[in-house]
Amino acid sequence: MTNQRTNNDLDLLLGRITSAASPFRETLQQIHQKYAPRGEGRVADYIPELAKASPDWFGIAVATTSGQSFEVGDSRQLFTIQSISKPFVYGLALEDHGREEVLKRVGVEPTGEAFNAIVLDEKSNRPFNPMVNAGAIVAADLIGGKDFAERIGRMLSMFAAHTGRDMYVDNSVFLSERATGHRNRAIGHLMLNFRMVSERIEDSLELYFQQCAVLVHAHDLAMMGATLANRGVNPLTGRRALQAEYVKDVLSIMLSCGMYDYAGEWAYRVGVPAKSGVGGGIVAVIPGRAGIGIFSPPLDAKGNSLRGVKVCQELSERFGLHAFECAFDGQSLAEQIGT
Amino acid sequence: MAKIVSTHSFRGGTGKSNTTANLAVMIARAGHRVGIVDTDIQSPGIHLIFRLNEREVTRSLNDYLWGRCRVEEAAYDVTDSAIGALSGVGKRPQLYLIPSSLNTGEIARILREGYDVGKLNDGFRELVRRLELDYLFIDTHPGVNEETLLSIAVSDVLILILRPDHQDFQGTSVTVELARRLQVPQMYLVLNKIPPTMDRRSLREQVESAYGAQVVGMLPLNAEMASLGSHNLFCNRHPDHPFSQELMCVAERIIA
Repeated sequence: MTNQRTNNDLDLLLGRITSAASPFRETLQQIHQKYAPRGEGRVADYIPELAKASPDWFGIAVATTSGQSFEVGDSRQLFTIQSISKPFVYGLALEDHGREEVLKRVGVEPTGEAFNAIVLDEKSNRPFNPMVNAGAIVAADLIGGKDFAERIGRMLSMFAAHTGRDMYVDNSVFLSERATGHRNRAIGHLMLNFRMVSERIEDSLELYFQQCAVLVHAHDLAMMGATLANRGVNPLTGRRALQAEYVKDVLSIMLSCGMYDYAGEWAYRVGVPAKSGVGGGIVAVIPGRAGIGIFSPPLDAKGNSLRGVKVCQELSERFGLHAFECAFDGQSLAEQIGT
Repeated sequence: MAKIVSTHSFRGGTGKSNTTANLAVMIARAGHRVGIVDTDIQSPGIHLIFRLNEREVTRSLNDYLWGRCRVEEAAYDVTDSAIGALSGVGKRPQLYLIPSSLNTGEIARILREGYDVGKLNDGFRELVRRLELDYLFIDTHPGVNEETLLSIAVSDVLILILRPDHQDFQGTSVTVELARRLQVPQMYLVLNKIPPTMDRRSLREQVESAYGAQVVGMLPLNAEMASLGSHNLFCNRHPDHPFSQELMCVAERIIA
């Protein structure tokens, strides 16, 4: 598959048609059918809005760097992005401050602690990485702008550049998160004490709660993944969403820290940068080739979408997607998609 | 493996539906299971050539696209009327027609709402599988539209039908470009409604060199076809007519 800009009308039309005609469409339908039956997962219920999700919702979307896109099931059902927002906001922080400045305030080490632990690295007082809540709050604090309005605008604009459409926040989820966000406020203020965050921490906490409540669907996640796969440029709009030099930062963080306590086994078995969210989403990136977006609210014991993990595992095995795969002799993803 | 054959013209009135219908009959008669899908949702018509009674048509392609039925439920067995009650060997020959809805309301609805082009593709695959088809003919709406592009993208053979007319010539080059972009494996040209006085050799050379594709049939303009008025199958009425003979060469090329 090529990394061309496909914002030409004819290319877009033909891309849509070749997607509709591709045998990969059937593969995706089969995979969807295989994992659709209800399993052991549980829908998150720490706030009532999340508890409303149906355990039967299940959508898969794949978007390629060459501008093709495939979807099956509830791929357009909106849900809140939650933790999946974290690597993307980290990218924005990197663009605003550069690697060294950001590294002074948030580390890049996977941690064995829970994602919402009120814990900082003892030696440096930094949060361990941008994927735990503390690190994500630092990243939100680092978003530049003269006031809250400008900062939230820049953040939403960043998401829009990745997905290719205007992005909105679910107000009731935001208000719920904010009302119950005691641990997040605690860690925010602890970090203020250690000067890991600025005096704007109250605004930054608001930004953080809003960022978690951004509404996305599986197709959006696939586009976000495809944008990262396409060196930071959205394959359909041709618009740059992240500077090329920071794509590797975002992807390496996703690979090492993206899947909560399953990160190690994920890197071992599936071997692609990914991020999950408590809303039931997972985004996975196949660098240079494609983005995968999955939505299925029931979560496993580690807090990842149960069906989402299985689908990624299956796709990785079927198409040899593991980053360090050396012995795959089946049909590649590019071959089956047909570009 | 089933072969998918699309017939297409850039403009209307080239004789596409008649050609498609007669080709399908010839191939079925040669001992194959053949299906024809009328994807011309905007102006369905091929069912008339098969004299399919509108009252019998309870389900159409539109119903499948709206999720109201499985695609094979919209398939009508026209073998007896089209080929006659042949004592075929086992399950062959067989001819099925999947029509588009003639109901004005339904045409308007599908135009307004659109439909998922991927689902149309799923439908083609299901038809081949469920009806165990050897050939699936896709009759398309003239010009550039999603159904046409999809049909071209999934076809093994694309037959472009044009008259020796400048409007058709110009339009065909657009279709040829799209077909090349969509990487259709085999593309053939069929010239139809050729006036009796036209120099056929130089016409063939001109067309082949203009599009870089082979002309596999040169069908004559004739009064018998015009009189028939799409009311029946020409090859059954006039099996020895030069039109039918020439069309047989096209059929043989598809089977080869």
